[in-house]
Amino acid sequence: MNKKRLAYFLILPAVLAMLFVHIIPMIWGFVISFMDLDITYIMDWTKAPFVGLENYAKGFSHVTTIGKRFGRSMLNVGIFGFLTITIGYFMGLGAALLLNKPFPGRTLVRGLILLPYITPDTVTFNFWRFIFQARIGILNKMLKSVGLIHDNVIWLVGNKSLYAVTVAAIWKGWPFGALILLAGLQTIPREIYEAAMIDGASAWQRFKYITFPYLKPVTKTFIIMNILWNFNAFNQFYVMLGNDPGMAAEVPSTLILRRAFNHFEYGLGSALSMMLFALMIVITALYFYFFRIRSQEDA
Amino acid sequence: MNKKAKKLLGKIAFTAAIILVLLFVLGPYMWMVSSSFKSTLEIQGMEPSWIPKTFTLDNYKTMNDIVPVFDYFKNSLIISGGTMFLSIILSTLAAYSLSRFRYKARNPYIMALFSTQMLPGILFLIPYYVMFIWIKHTFGLQMTNTYYGLIFTYTSFSLPFSILMLRNYLDSVPREIDEQALIDGCTRVQALFRVIIPLAKPGIAAVGIYSFIMGWSEILFATIISGSRTTPLSIGLLDYIQQNAAHWGNMMAACIMSTIPVLILFTLMQKHIVQGLVSGATKG
Repeated sequence: MNKKRLAYFLILPAVLAMLFVHIIPMIWGFVISFMDLDITYIMDWTKAPFVGLENYAKGFSHVTTIGKRFGRSMLNVGIFGFLTITIGYFMGLGAALLLNKPFPGRTLVRGLILLPYITPDTVTFNFWRFIFQARIGILNKMLKSVGLIHDNVIWLVGNKSLYAVTVAAIWKGWPFGALILLAGLQTIPREIYEAAMIDGASAWQRFKYITFPYLKPVTKTFIIMNILWNFNAFNQFYVMLGNDPGMAAEVPSTLILRRAFNHFEYGLGSALSMMLFALMIVITALYFYFFRIRSQEDA
Repeated sequence: MNKKAKKLLGKIAFTAAIILVLLFVLGPYMWMVSSSFKSTLEIQGMEPSWIPKTFTLDNYKTMNDIVPVFDYFKNSLIISGGTMFLSIILSTLAAYSLSRFRYKARNPYIMALFSTQMLPGILFLIPYYVMFIWIKHTFGLQMTNTYYGLIFTYTSFSLPFSILMLRNYLDSVPREIDEQALIDGCTRVQALFRVIIPLAKPGIAAVGIYSFIMGWSEILFATIISGSRTTPLSIGLLDYIQQNAAHWGNMMAACIMSTIPVLILFTLMQKHIVQGLVSGATKG
C-alpha cells in the first residue's frame, strides 16, 4: 500500500465515527430546524412539513412564552458563566501562586486540589444538592449555628437556585484553572525574577510586569474554553434542579431538552440549538478578533 | 528580629492559605463520606455533626434495595469499558497517521478535531435521536437503549481529545525508530504494532482512561439514548430522590461507589492526563 493511502486509511475509522456523530447530525439538525417535526412525524421525519423560519421566529420573539423563556435562559447562562469564570479564574490564580512555591507535601496538595475536577459530575452535583437542602442540608445548619440565618433558606427553588448551582460549578471548575495557570507559571524563567529583584522591583511590580504578562496566553485559552463550556452548561442544572429548573435558573440546554423530548417539538428544539450555536460562533469570533487586535498593539 | 518575625508571619499566612484551600476542596467530600455512614434518623436530624454519632453500614447494605444501582454500575462498566477499548483503537490509528505522514487533509483534519471539541452537545442531540429513530424505522436496527449505541456515541465524543493527546505523545517518539524498523524489513503496519505501540503504552493508557472517565460521567446523551436496560450510573443515581422519599444516605454511599473506579484510574495515570490537559490548553 502506498504511503498516502495508508495515511488516509488509518484516519478513516475516526473520521467516519465523527462524521456520524458530529457532522451529519449537525447538518440534519439544520434541516430539521425548518420543519415542524413533532411526535406524529418522528417515525418518518421526511414527511414533516416545512415551516420556513417559523421556529426561529418563535425563539426570537418577546411575545411567545418560549421566546421569553429562551431569552431568560440566555441571560441566566450569561450570569452563571460570568461568575463561574471570573471567580474560578481568580481562585485558580491564587492557588497556582501558592503552589508555585516549593513546600513539603506540595505534590499531595496539588493532587488533592484536582479531586473536584475528576469527580464525576453526577456525584459532585448530587452531593452539592445534598449540601444545599433546606431542612437537612449542612449549609443551612452551619449558617444557623453561627447565627447568620434563623430560618432555613430555600436554595434550590426560585431566585437563589441559579447562585446555588453557580457555587457548586465554581467548586467543580476552579481546579482546572489552577492546573493550567500553574503550568503557565512554571514556564516563567527564574532569572527574570532575580533580575527584577536586583533592580528593586516590589512583589506587586514583579507580579504586574512579569507574572501576569507571562500568563496571558493561558488566561486567553482558559477564558475562551470556559465561555464555550459554560454556554453548554447542563449537568449542573439537571442534577441539582431537575428536568425543569424553573424560570429563574433555566439555561438553554435544559430548555431545549425539555422542548424536544417532553413537548416533542423536535423542530423548535433544533432551531433553538442552532441559535445557541450561532451565538457561540459570534462570541468566539469576536473574542479572537478582539484579542488579535490587542496583541498586535502590544507588539 | 523584625525581619524574622515578618518571615514567620508570612509562613503562617501561607500555611493558613493552604489549609483554607484544602478545607474548601475536601469539605464536601468529608460531608459525603460521613453522611454515608449515618443513620437516616441522624441525616434528618437538626444537629450537624461531621463524625457520625452512630456509625452504621446500613446505607451500603441497602443501597441496591430501592434503586438497582448494581445494574447501573454494571451498565456503566460495560459502556465505559467499551468506549475505552474502541477509542484506543481508533485514536491510535488516527494519531499515528497524523504524527508520521504529511498529506493534504492533515491540517484541515486537525482543525476539525479542535473545533468539534468545542461544539455544544445539545446541538447534535435532537437530530442524533431523530437519526436513531430513522435507522430503527428504516433498517430495523435498534440504536437507543443499547450498549453499542452508547459506546459508539461516547467513542466519537472522546476521539478529538484522544487523537490530539496521542498525536503529541507519538510526536515525542523519534521517527528514526520507525525508519529502523522499516529497514529491518517491517511493513508500516508491522512497525506500528510491533514497535510504536509498545513504546507509546503510557500515552495509550492515558487516552483509554480519559475515554473511560468521559463515558462514566456523561449525562446529557444518557438521558435520551439510554433506557431501562442500559441506564448508566450517571443518571441512575438520581433515582434515590423520589417524590415521596429522598434516600440521601443510600445516595451518598452510591456516590462513593461510583467515584472509586474513576479515582483509581486517575491516580494511576495522573501524570499523563495532566500533561495532556495542560499541553492542550497551553498550546491551543
